[in-house]
Amino acid sequence: MKTEPIHPIRNVRYLRPQKEWKEIIAIYLYLAGMGAGSFAIGTLINWMGVKLNLPFFPSIDLFGYTLNLSNVPILWGPIMVAIGTPFLILDLGIKWRFMYACLNPRTSWVARGFIILSIFIIFGLALLAKSVLPFEWLHAESPLWRIPEIIAFAFAFGTAIYTGVLLKATKSIPLWNTYLLPLLFLVSALSTGSMAIILSTLGTGLFSHDAGALKVLMGGEQILVVIEGIVLYLFLSRRYKAAEQGKDSVRLLLFGEMKLIFWGGIVLLGFIFPVILENIASLFPGNAVFIFVGGILLLFGGFFLRLGVLHAGIKDQIPMHRLMEIQYNVMAEKTKAL
Amino acid sequence: MLIFALRYDLCAKRFENGRRRVMQEKVLVVDQQKCTGCRLCELVCSVFHTGASNPSRSRVKVVKWEDVGFYLPMACNHCEQAYCVEVCPTKACHREPENNNRVAIDKKLCIGCRTCIIACPFGHPFFDVQDRVTVKCDYCDGDPQCVRFCDVKAISFTDADKTNMAKKREAFLKYAESMKQVR
Repeated sequence: MKTEPIHPIRNVRYLRPQKEWKEIIAIYLYLAGMGAGSFAIGTLINWMGVKLNLPFFPSIDLFGYTLNLSNVPILWGPIMVAIGTPFLILDLGIKWRFMYACLNPRTSWVARGFIILSIFIIFGLALLAKSVLPFEWLHAESPLWRIPEIIAFAFAFGTAIYTGVLLKATKSIPLWNTYLLPLLFLVSALSTGSMAIILSTLGTGLFSHDAGALKVLMGGEQILVVIEGIVLYLFLSRRYKAAEQGKDSVRLLLFGEMKLIFWGGIVLLGFIFPVILENIASLFPGNAVFIFVGGILLLFGGFFLRLGVLHAGIKDQIPMHRLMEIQYNVMAEKTKAL
Repeated sequence: MLIFALRYDLCAKRFENGRRRVMQEKVLVVDQQKCTGCRLCELVCSVFHTGASNPSRSRVKVVKWEDVGFYLPMACNHCEQAYCVEVCPTKACHREPENNNRVAIDKKLCIGCRTCIIACPFGHPFFDVQDRVTVKCDYCDGDPQCVRFCDVKAISFTDADKTNMAKKREAFLKYAESMKQVR
């Protein structure tokens, strides 16, 4: 990707990324994406009838009932989304009015998101509760149970994609205004989600890189990381060519104030270190330390990806600003000639 | 005279679609060449809407380019296709055809999500840190204070249909000329 010298006027005056959505929204986007991604992967694992090679069925006794926790490591995504949603409420000017946020689903993606996330949280938590509770009627073999599972799975995908669509819907920021952004966030949600499942099985006592389903999951997660890297490249290169402010955003991310977040947070933590550590871990079967460190770094990388994309959003230039730029340049030329 | 350019674009689009404004509505028109950058408009706007003489809570912002002596009072353009209305999750940001077709924000419905601020290409709606909601120009309910108090008459409140298209054309010819110079 070739870069041009930074325009002095544009750089000084217009490289002003949006300041409305900051870290709190990044945390919300991240938790929603990661939770939804892990639930989607977990449901797929469930549907395929794959066992996680657990040495025992973890359970706890509560009020005389034995709660089966064996499916919790793969179905806890809705809890993450439920934790993330209050961050969105925290960012509102008047927090108690959050219930109003579903009044305009016809055109507003915030309102649609409110509905998508609510449905996902309700169905996801219900399915998690179903897997935990010991009542026999809940575990009866019936094709009807597939219906809530399919709904939750669909809305998990919806939630993961929505985090990108929310940004895309604000049309005046060229960096966000592309279908590649929802795709990027979806792939990132699936990779961080699958890594979250891998990490949540670490404490079960029989973690091994070669252990059946986990081996497949690790392989799939690495493929997702590679796909995420490709989509990120496509996203940045397309945005660089898309508009002047898109170019500015990419420059800000790669070489400007955000370069530490991009190169350190996204590239190193999110891509390079996890891939290296997971490959090292494959040389030491049974040693979970490398997987653990790589996984944590990958999760941080997912967060920095959202943070970087949010912070690098620069608005389209309005015609008056363009006119000023031209006037300023003409004046500068005249001054130089004198 | 420099009219808010995007508004012009939107007007053009509107006429292409064969639709016209139904009633005699008024719009704010800014003559950038008259503006001295005194920011009195910001002051009176904040006094009218908040009771405090605090320009940071004004609905009008004067963009200043001291290097070239350029001052431009920026207010909401009440765009025909208003992104702020589209993205508002609560319908707090809505159009009022009966009030000069203005785009207004209902403070009782606004949750302060600031999506409208991000969506607006002009960066116009502002977040009022005191009221914790988004606010924007509402033409002061038909009597814009910025127009009333502007000493040099840089801002006027005129009928949309009477707004001089020739002057708009002149502004854009100037713009086109400047573009040629750059090329």
